[in-house]
Amino acid sequence: MVQLVRMSVSSVDATNLGDVWKFTGFANLLADISGGNFTQALGRTVVFAALVTVIGIVGGLAAAIALRKSRRGSGVLLALMVFVWALPPVINGSTWKFLFDNTGLFNVVLHQMGLGQIGFLYDQHLALLSVALVNAWTIVPFNALVYRAAIMSVPVELFEAAELDGAGPLKQITNVIIPAIRSTTLVLLILTIVYGFRSFDFVYVMTSGGPGTVTTTLPYLGYVQAFTEFNYGQGAATAVTTVVLVVVFALFYARSVSKEEVGE
Amino acid sequence: MKRRSRVAAIVCVLLFVIYGVPMFWVLLTSIKPIADVSRGGWTLLFFKPTLGAYTGIVNGALLQAARQSAVIALGTTALVLLVTVPFSYAIARVRGRWPAVVLGVLIILQMMPQTATVLPLFQIFSTWGWLDQTYAVILADAALLTPFAIMLLRPFFRSVPVAIEEAASVDGAGRWRIFRSIALPMARNGLATTGTLVFLLTWGEFIYSINFFTTPENYPLSALLTQQITQYTVNWPGLMALAVLTSLPILAVFAFTYRFLKDGLAVGAVK
Repeated sequence: MVQLVRMSVSSVDATNLGDVWKFTGFANLLADISGGNFTQALGRTVVFAALVTVIGIVGGLAAAIALRKSRRGSGVLLALMVFVWALPPVINGSTWKFLFDNTGLFNVVLHQMGLGQIGFLYDQHLALLSVALVNAWTIVPFNALVYRAAIMSVPVELFEAAELDGAGPLKQITNVIIPAIRSTTLVLLILTIVYGFRSFDFVYVMTSGGPGTVTTTLPYLGYVQAFTEFNYGQGAATAVTTVVLVVVFALFYARSVSKEEVGE
Repeated sequence: MKRRSRVAAIVCVLLFVIYGVPMFWVLLTSIKPIADVSRGGWTLLFFKPTLGAYTGIVNGALLQAARQSAVIALGTTALVLLVTVPFSYAIARVRGRWPAVVLGVLIILQMMPQTATVLPLFQIFSTWGWLDQTYAVILADAALLTPFAIMLLRPFFRSVPVAIEEAASVDGAGRWRIFRSIALPMARNGLATTGTLVFLLTWGEFIYSINFFTTPENYPLSALLTQQITQYTVNWPGLMALAVLTSLPILAVFAFTYRFLKDGLAVGAVK
């Protein structure tokens, strides 16, 4: 970490990586910002993280509610979902890269229906959305699992009371379940935002930041600057900014956890 | 009541499709002749199954990569457990301000993007001459997952009642004895959960592997897969077969530990 910060304020490239670094202060960061890539990447990262978070949280909650009652197949479904979550991002990324491919499942079905092909990962406007969807797809099972545990710990009497009061299923969800699991939501919210924010694997595997730079998010930008352009200093500056943003969220999380600690 | 179960059933079916079909499709593609895949159309469902993709990729290099994956994943899991078990126990037992501070630091470390650590580590390893060494990757992976493992383990040790430990200590058991014969067995679900997750995460890790290994012959499976998927022309059946083979150990570990994992995750991840 210390090395990273030092690197971010120095001029480092392949020629002097193992040598003495010249201190350049905020030059890297300024070059970053004026380059335009950085601000664009920041914007994309925010959009990306927002998509992942909204789908991840809503999808996770919906899945958890649907899986709340044990019925035939729900155990199998949960196991399947958690297995998908446990698979490495490289594998899930490869899978979806194939499904989205021109010869992949979606395009073949579209083709058979007489519709044209969609370049899910090649289209300027769709690529970021596609990668975000896949990212959300892998986080929903985890959120569902945690939500399910939280919902199951809600006392049964609450549901019975709500039913006696004539609350329908929807009312029960909005008035009983959602308030009861508010602290879980907070924690999952922070975890999912951070997960979306620092996501790198899927971008790397599925689009390598393209087409052009439309899927280049902050973590990916920093990586490219360092390991493709060999501008280690600038890569470090980008990485440090990402870290600072993540730390802000981490502090929120740490505070909510330590509050719980005091409560115990 | 009726209506709710119908809606829930629809959501379940939907989820089955969303999560099942991709997995099924990967399996299906891996046993297809390559010509059928690139031609598209209805051969997608009606084709002559072949193991060609598998026999095409299984060779000495792949076995070497599998061995490398196993060494890295097992080594990291062992190292992480060795470090985190005593540490989590201590932090679960110590009182006062310190645990809260340490926890805060751990949370921040746990959330560090890997892309931020790969760069300084690369620089450090290259000055130490550690690049292309398996132990360097193991060490980096272990360092990456240690904060996460402590966060996951701590609630399990906390749930071991202090009263039982006190009783043991009255009976004359020392600190070490208490840890070994009481705390450790009672927290074994936590150990199983943590061990499994560390193994799974290291098995799939590729950012460190592709950067710290400078010769592709040393790549583990995940890095091999990454290298192939990011190329422009892709042999899909071969690649899907590689994905299936890479997932097999995960499926095996998962099948054994799912029942711990299911509850362990919910306990450890949120607390």
